[in-house]
Amino acid sequence: MTELHRLVLLATLLLALPLLVAAQIGRPEAPPRGPVVVLDGRELAVPVTITPGGPLFALKPLVDSLGGQLGSDDGESFNLKIDATEVVTGIGNAIITVGEEIVSLSQPPVRGEGGPLVPLDFLRKTWGTVSGYSFDWRPEESRLIVSRRESREIKVSLDVVHLQGMTTVVLQFPETPRYRINQQPGAVEVQVLADRLAPPVRKKVEDSLVQDVTFAPQLVRIQLVPDAEVESYLLDNPFRLVFDVHRKSAAPVPAGPSAAVADLRSSTRTIVVDPGHGGTETGAIGPGGIAEKELTLVLARDLEARLTQRLPVRVVLTRNDDSKLPLDARTAVANQNKADLFISIHLNSSLGSGAHGAETYFLSSQASDTRAESAAATENVGGAAAPAADAGQETQDLQMILWDLAQSHHLAESQRFAGLVQAELNQALELKDRGVKQAPFRVLMGAAMPAVLVELGFISNPDEEAKLQNPAYRADLVEALVRAVGRYLEASQADRRSTPPLPPPQGAVRSNPGSPNPP
Amino acid sequence: MSRRAAGWVLAAALLLVAGGLAWWWQAGRGGGRGARRGTAEGAAGAPTERHAFDLYFPAAGGGLRGERRELQVSESPKDRIRKVLEALLAGPAAAAPASPAAAPRPGSTGAAAPAPAAPSPAGPAGLVRPFPPEVKLGSVELSADGTAFVDLRWPEHEDPPESGSTEEIQRVYSLVDSLALNVPQVNRVVLLWNGTQRITFSGHLDTSRPLLPDRTLLAP
Repeated sequence: MTELHRLVLLATLLLALPLLVAAQIGRPEAPPRGPVVVLDGRELAVPVTITPGGPLFALKPLVDSLGGQLGSDDGESFNLKIDATEVVTGIGNAIITVGEEIVSLSQPPVRGEGGPLVPLDFLRKTWGTVSGYSFDWRPEESRLIVSRRESREIKVSLDVVHLQGMTTVVLQFPETPRYRINQQPGAVEVQVLADRLAPPVRKKVEDSLVQDVTFAPQLVRIQLVPDAEVESYLLDNPFRLVFDVHRKSAAPVPAGPSAAVADLRSSTRTIVVDPGHGGTETGAIGPGGIAEKELTLVLARDLEARLTQRLPVRVVLTRNDDSKLPLDARTAVANQNKADLFISIHLNSSLGSGAHGAETYFLSSQASDTRAESAAATENVGGAAAPAADAGQETQDLQMILWDLAQSHHLAESQRFAGLVQAELNQALELKDRGVKQAPFRVLMGAAMPAVLVELGFISNPDEEAKLQNPAYRADLVEALVRAVGRYLEASQADRRSTPPLPPPQGAVRSNPGSPNPP
Repeated sequence: MSRRAAGWVLAAALLLVAGGLAWWWQAGRGGGRGARRGTAEGAAGAPTERHAFDLYFPAAGGGLRGERRELQVSESPKDRIRKVLEALLAGPAAAAPASPAAAPRPGSTGAAAPAPAAPSPAGPAGLVRPFPPEVKLGSVELSADGTAFVDLRWPEHEDPPESGSTEEIQRVYSLVDSLALNVPQVNRVVLLWNGTQRITFSGHLDTSRPLLPDRTLLAP
């Protein structure tokens, strides 16, 4: 080897050495990192547990970072306060309340070593709704990106209509704001969370019940006369907040469509129980040969007996024998009896294996909208032939608002009752929680009161079919329904005594201007 | 030109022709890659192409799950509606056995006593066909406002199969979601049974009005 060769070899070795060292340093020595939570580009020390149902996040460190107060935690349930909104959550219960809203989660919170662990949609439905945070889970990176949504400017328009001793104030928004309604002596306020309002052109309100309506960037204040009280509702498409203002002494009962609202104010407590199917309509048939129509009748009769035994109610069955009854006739029974609640009892079946558990339905917004549209179309055809005078048109408009309002109220109350039914079934029985759902079910469409259809198990599932033939098991199901009815009646009674009903969950209730004639 | 040179020219020409034929044959079989493959002539003369569709079949647990399928369709929305529905009624891919006839209603033509619900045989991915194999596709129409009218036919059965609400939802929305989420011209679906629009399909869903797709039923 010549001198030159040796020099080249040496130079090569010298060049290679730093590369080898760098490669060694670059080797990962730390163990692979687990999931992380990032807020505004900063990593938070939030333990994350990955489960088959999705990630679960430790609640306490999130409260420290996102704001809020973790209140009483008795091991089974805990309270969380975000701004002024109270969140009540039970360990192992996928139904939570956010303010007055009943919200279902994809999976229930569980108890971890350092406190409660909550799923992703818990974060979205609490801090997301109340404080305007967005939560972007990136499973491929095992990373949750938390950011505060930018504040939007939302135009608001105002309408004030007075008729027959009642004033209706309508605030209309082009998109759904995040808001809270605060009832105060002599006023009601809509506080907008995280967004800003673009108020309408100022105009003087001249009304015997509403003194003024004022707008601030995040607040609408409706100033009432001293002896007035208010009830609020939500309408959708477009999104509207509606406030009924009337004198405290005697709430007026306008003729026509508002009779449905008046029914809810009355003290009558009538429950209509509808045993699903009947006669030649067998409903589902279990693998053991049990027909749905037989079990629904047995369950409905049991429910009638226990309800009248335990609660001060009158119960009407839509059918009390094995007869076929059209779906529309079932709700007609409820309407004729001016029922406060309509409960349709069913048992389920599915295609494919593995379906089991209970679920509770209320009418889907789509179905409600469609029905309102067709009713409105019918009304419009009549109106086209004989155009109304201005005053008559105004009356008709208000009647349509009131009918719409009543239907929205029923939907919101149906959702509330469905949540209670499902919660009681989950708590009492070892059934899979299939949750509160919405569907365009015909039997719920004509009801002029809160109405649910409850599926008490799958008779297509051999295990559940066997359970449903056990009287003790059926008694537990019926007891759960009785408790749900009791809780609902108690809550609605309290509503009527004290505060006006709070708006239903955003997006859950939709309604279009409809006919003053009940469908 | 010598005989030798002429032979070379002939061989080259033969090679060119053979190559062209091979290319044409391959294109006709849809030999390309991706969702849209080569074009061909349909039976009615309209050009057709291979196109990928997500067919939503009833799945274990009570929901719907998509199965990606390539179908030979034309540009006509009605042709696509028909092809999607025929594929759905034929059932999920691979060796999915036929679903047994569901329990008929007593009183239906040709029906005996109600039969107990047997578990539907599932395909490899836990998917099942939405209707018994006897149910056939009748006429299909598409209105200008995007409403698809779909007529299902089972002449021996006056009424659709009896079922619980989940089973009914699986059946009906298998069709509604597969059409509305695959054929852009379809916004909503009216379902008919033996040529008649019904107030309810199997005692729960309101089918007297067009149905909009429901994505909440789809498994992730």
